[in-house]
Amino acid sequence: MKKILALVFLGFFSIVNAAQALDAKKAEKFVQNVTTAGIEELINSDVSDSERRARFTKLFNEDLDLDFIGRFVLGRYWRTATPAQRDAFIDVYRKLNIQTWSERFNEFKGKHFEFLGTETSKSPDQIFVNTQVPMEEGSPASVKWRVKETNGNMRIVDIIIENVSLAQTARSEYTAYIQKSPKGIDGLISDLKSKLK
Amino acid sequence: MLKTLKYIAFSVLLGHLVVYPAFGAEDESSALETYNRAMFNFNSAADYYVIKPAAKGYRAVTNGFIRERVHNFFANLKEPVAVVNHTLQGNLGDSGKSLGRFLVNSTLGLLGTFDVASGWGLANNKTGFDETLAKWCVPDGPYIVLPILGASTPRATVGLAADTAATPTYWADYYATFGNDLEKYSFYYGLTALGFVSIREENIELLDKLTESSVDPYSTIKSAYIQNRLKIAACAPKDKDAEPASYDFDFDEDFDE
Repeated sequence: MKKILALVFLGFFSIVNAAQALDAKKAEKFVQNVTTAGIEELINSDVSDSERRARFTKLFNEDLDLDFIGRFVLGRYWRTATPAQRDAFIDVYRKLNIQTWSERFNEFKGKHFEFLGTETSKSPDQIFVNTQVPMEEGSPASVKWRVKETNGNMRIVDIIIENVSLAQTARSEYTAYIQKSPKGIDGLISDLKSKLK
Repeated sequence: MLKTLKYIAFSVLLGHLVVYPAFGAEDESSALETYNRAMFNFNSAADYYVIKPAAKGYRAVTNGFIRERVHNFFANLKEPVAVVNHTLQGNLGDSGKSLGRFLVNSTLGLLGTFDVASGWGLANNKTGFDETLAKWCVPDGPYIVLPILGASTPRATVGLAADTAATPTYWADYYATFGNDLEKYSFYYGLTALGFVSIREENIELLDKLTESSVDPYSTIKSAYIQNRLKIAACAPKDKDAEPASYDFDFDEDFDE
């Protein structure tokens, strides 16, 4: 009886593992596509700046869940924000991200992402895809991609560079700003707008 | 100047050890934040008027090849620090590797300017007193901004001071056989300043972009610094699966709509 139980138990775990492995492969493939299309093909190609910006906008809107991230980075202030404030914030946050990331990805020019497998998250619909980028000097830079699956659709919800989460950093910055500023969320939105080129 | 800085760092540290013994780095009292923000503004001004122009000047008069030699030279001076600290952490194998790297790179690598040892399978594996203290279960303490040196914590400050004392050039001003006192000191301070400018040069673009897109650079740098420090392995090896990674936070914690 004990043996049967143990077998059932083992069987159960191997099914769970198999399901995760399948998901992990899919997530890794998804991130591979993003890095190849977004970074290796876009940055290393000779297209004009406006064309590059247009392609980045498309890529970011399709593969990065900026609504989900934007909600998180406002923290507890999301709940008190009016629908108009929420829309205005998400809109400027999206534009600012596209702007800063199309510039920042330039630093990966000529570099190649090495894929190092995945890491589970305590959130069941999310997974971390581990990559590293070899640097000219010193040890390679660690870049982890947090991927979320919604209805079979995969999207990136966070990028963690050298243990620093972009979502977490933005959240610290924005909540500290709102807390200090007498103009609150509206002040944040107008200040973020002034950062747009 | 470095000595003065160290005294300042230590007095800041002692003050914090007395006032904030039990807080983690995320906690920042309003008094400490007021001090930190004031120091951050001072550092930003010093950076804008002195340090960044020096870094740009350094970039203008050197090329990538020379800058890499300078970078390697200073990196090599940190090897004895790694030798001592790997030993203190109980990793004698790593300590031997760092010693090997130091001996090979200081001689065949022309005073450390070329990293010959990496090609011999002795990969760069640096550590410092801060990591040793972490392994010994010394808590990190609150986030503090040091004069000129910037983002830190009490443990990181102690680590930095100890690492400086274990760097060979630090002792050059005591045992140098050349010149008079003034020459000795200007040699040491010149070297320290070059190391500082070299590091700043490597981060010109990074810091520019960060301040350009941030509405509160103080909070951005603080958050990134604290998250990055969570990489340092803590004491008492726990079950790795028991505690989720620092970046595996719950996205939905604030939204119960």
